[in-house]
Amino acid sequence: MAAAIARPAPSRSPLPRLFGRGGLALVIGAYTVYTLGPFLWLATMSVRTTGEISADHYAWPRPFHWEQFRVAWVDSDFATYFWNSTIVVVTAVAVVTLVGAAAAHALARYRFAGNRLVYGILFSSIIFPPQITLISLYQILVDYNLYNSLVGLTLVYISLQLPLTVYLLEGFFARIPQDLFDAAKMDGYGDLEIFRRIVLPIGMPAIATTLILNFIQLWNEFLFAVVLITDPEKRTLPIGIRAFMGDHFQDIGMIAAGVMISVVPVILAYAFFSEKLIRGMTAGAVK
Amino acid sequence: MAVVQLDRICKRYGGGGPPAVDDVDVTIGDGEFMVLLGPSGCGKSTTLRMIAGLETISSGTLSIDGRVVNEVPAKDRDIAMVFQSYALYPHMTVAENLSFGLRRRKTPAPEIERRVREVAEILGLAPYLARKPHALSGGQRQRVALGRAMVREPMVFLFDEPLSNLDAALRVNTRNELIKQHRRLGSTMIYVTHDQVEAMTMGTRICVMNGGRVAQVGAPLDVYWNPADTFVARFLGSPPMNLFAATLAEPGRVEAGGLRSRLTRWRPDALAPVVGRDVMVGVRAEDLSLDREAAGPEAGSVAGRVFAVEPLGAETLVSVELERGVECTARLSRGVQARIGEAIELFFPPTATFLFDAATTRAVPASAPLGAVH
Repeated sequence: MAAAIARPAPSRSPLPRLFGRGGLALVIGAYTVYTLGPFLWLATMSVRTTGEISADHYAWPRPFHWEQFRVAWVDSDFATYFWNSTIVVVTAVAVVTLVGAAAAHALARYRFAGNRLVYGILFSSIIFPPQITLISLYQILVDYNLYNSLVGLTLVYISLQLPLTVYLLEGFFARIPQDLFDAAKMDGYGDLEIFRRIVLPIGMPAIATTLILNFIQLWNEFLFAVVLITDPEKRTLPIGIRAFMGDHFQDIGMIAAGVMISVVPVILAYAFFSEKLIRGMTAGAVK
Repeated sequence: MAVVQLDRICKRYGGGGPPAVDDVDVTIGDGEFMVLLGPSGCGKSTTLRMIAGLETISSGTLSIDGRVVNEVPAKDRDIAMVFQSYALYPHMTVAENLSFGLRRRKTPAPEIERRVREVAEILGLAPYLARKPHALSGGQRQRVALGRAMVREPMVFLFDEPLSNLDAALRVNTRNELIKQHRRLGSTMIYVTHDQVEAMTMGTRICVMNGGRVAQVGAPLDVYWNPADTFVARFLGSPPMNLFAATLAEPGRVEAGGLRSRLTRWRPDALAPVVGRDVMVGVRAEDLSLDREAAGPEAGSVAGRVFAVEPLGAETLVSVELERGVECTARLSRGVQARIGEAIELFFPPTATFLFDAATTRAVPASAPLGAVH
């Protein structure tokens, strides 16, 4: 008991003691301004016309041109882009998460011939920049009639994000003690059930991390979308925003409005999963 | 209720090294508390995991109640296991941990509820049913792990060093709790440990393992008093049995270095095979004393110089260096005043002498019962 009392609370970070609460608040405040500033600037621009912005970059919106959002959503087909993005990204992220988690579990837990070979191949695809696959992917999609289709883009997105997801989850899953699996086996559960009832819930913090990462990355993905989609009806949001950029004129106000629309789901996704993320990080203690 | 029979069980891993478990041949009776005892790496845990179905059996047959279960998956063997790490599911409450196995077996909900309540009552876990494992103390977690096995009411209980993560006081409590539960349930239990105190106090029988093989099986005191070889002799007992290398020049008595002993427990014909050969003479630390009279008229003796004195409170351990760098340890009464460097002579009754063939390390069978003086 004496040892328990003498030991300082291990969960508390040493930072507050180092800086004092005031100093810490100052640092966090400065960092928040640094990261949030550009975003707020963009937010003000989204309700100003490009003419107003050109006149004074930093002025407070007066009046608020809320109609820019309506123009973007209705007249500039953002509703369609938004829907396309949602379908492609949600499907891709769902598949990546499920397949990635299953693959990571298999690689982390089962000894089979070629285990490390598969892992090595996956890992090597993380090392190379995805852009180098662009031309070959384009040709493959054309060959299989998937060029200029949302299905094709979804498949490409899955293949882009899967390796990193497997890599991250494998590292986490490998640290789940083997005893838990053995205990579940003794309790009568088969492999699939163990995956669903033990691995997924315990791995939730890691899964939530990859979920957010994948979602943000794919939601903002531009290069593959612009190459593999030509039909305006099938554009995703990043390409839709691109439409406001002409060769000689950039509609900054509308671009800002488009970006503000596109950023909403990202914030929602983060707000929804971050609680799980933080809870998972602090809970720890498997034993 | 089950009889677990291991018939020449072997476990070999790839790579062609020596088998991890080699030809283990043991039958564990119905309701028996069998302890698999041995140092780490002796194959006891692997044996247990093969019984559980968590490791494949390389050769030999494992049967439970006469039914061969080599190929039966762990989940269908109706065996429950308590792990050293407890292996509680961290994302489930105590109640969910307890009922996890029952839910899989499609036990009706009211029945699950009843059994979880009952086990929680027995183990004093009722106030913690809604807690997650990380909010429990080590002892409470251990009880949840035990309870998780108990609610299943399995044919066989397996324990893999379940007490080694507990502190000393809690270990004694939990040990007694386990003995109590074994008595109450009357189930077959197989318990792996490297702790001889656990083995001696809990087991109806113990199975001492060494290097993947069974060294000896028997009732705890029987193994203690009749060790089959030097390994068992030294593994049971604290401090370990003192062994002295000697050559048996004539039957009936042995002298080597600072040791002299009469071998009254062996008839001359029993000693005949080892006469003229190298032997090991064994004396337990607790059989050594400073009192020549108490050791009887034919007392053996050990003479040397004290090189360590460890007062433990209830008793004092005195380590003596005989000639030729041979050491031995005596467990003496707490009043003993021994100074380091001082010459000392310790005595033991001839009935407390053990004799092993140095070449095979096997015990030379005695004609008089061992431990007769005790």
